[in-house]
Amino acid sequence: MATTSTVASSVGSGHAEPAHPAHLQHHFVTSEQQFDAAKMGMWLFLVTEILLFSGMFVAYTVYRVWHPEVFQAASKLLDWRLGGFNTLVLLASSLTVAMAIHFAQKDNRKMLITNLVITVLLAGVFMVVKYFEYTSKFEHGIFPGAHYASHELEMAYAPQFFSIYFIMTGIHGVHVLVGMFLMSWLVIRSMRGHFSSAWYTPVELTGLYWHIVDIIWIFLFPLMYLI
Amino acid sequence: MAHAHAHSGDHGHHIIPLKLLLSVFGGLVFLTVFTVLTAEFVDLGPFNIVLAIIIAIIKAGLVVTFFMGLKWDNRVNALIFAVGCIFVIVFLSFTIFDTAFRGDIGNVGKQTIEEEQRALEGTEEAAPAAAH
Repeated sequence: MATTSTVASSVGSGHAEPAHPAHLQHHFVTSEQQFDAAKMGMWLFLVTEILLFSGMFVAYTVYRVWHPEVFQAASKLLDWRLGGFNTLVLLASSLTVAMAIHFAQKDNRKMLITNLVITVLLAGVFMVVKYFEYTSKFEHGIFPGAHYASHELEMAYAPQFFSIYFIMTGIHGVHVLVGMFLMSWLVIRSMRGHFSSAWYTPVELTGLYWHIVDIIWIFLFPLMYLI
Repeated sequence: MAHAHAHSGDHGHHIIPLKLLLSVFGGLVFLTVFTVLTAEFVDLGPFNIVLAIIIAIIKAGLVVTFFMGLKWDNRVNALIFAVGCIFVIVFLSFTIFDTAFRGDIGNVGKQTIEEEQRALEGTEEAAPAAAH
């Protein structure tokens, strides 16, 4: 394993290093080992996130296979223009968070903060669009489950589609809000000068989280709005 | 693998060039436009769904490989991600094996397997006796 070899190689050279970096916790031998451990932990967490959403994707697939005509008719009630716009917004925010990491690695604090702020703003745009989508659905009596009272589409299993739609996009939306909170926290810490090319682990890990949120939407968009 | 060793040697993280990030973003935007156009304006029948999912997988692949940096990362993270994907495939396909084919097996008896076995043994014992 790569991690083990890092430990072994740095045990010898570790003492030659001048000073202990402030961010390095005592139970790690090197910054590199600490970074790798944190990142691996994050990937394990992201897999649990993927599995959380996979349960809902499986529910979607099961109901779609059972009632394909209902799903096709119900997805036409969703506006693909808004969904498509939101897809582009999230993709752009993925780009800016990747750029934030790029500038953190280059010790460019100004561009790091700028890109994090843009990411938060784009996430905000996504949530505002989502708010208008939800309210327009509610106005038409489209609620999840038993509360469904739409006269536009009175097919037998249409409420199931919208239950799945609201649950999936709702839990995804909660993830976007969590991302906005984390990113704002990163902005504050960046302004206080906590991050540098030597240590920017929270930026890296939040970036990974944000990309997974983006990937979930990459699948939600065609499944809900397009097909 | 060779890269991973060089990586741990100089203690530097791979910095993804801005140009690459921008071109990956361009690719993602292109694929988004492409998936909307094909799904909304081109009728391919059942292939529409397949195409949309293939495009989504390619887009997710671009994000994971470049934005999330798995291409340059420690290989163990790619392994974790791959195992996660396998879990999802198993979860999805085994559920579909059940739900998509329910009711297709029309010759299901009302008896349990044990009861059927007992009935079968009973007839086997009875059958030679009847032959005599």
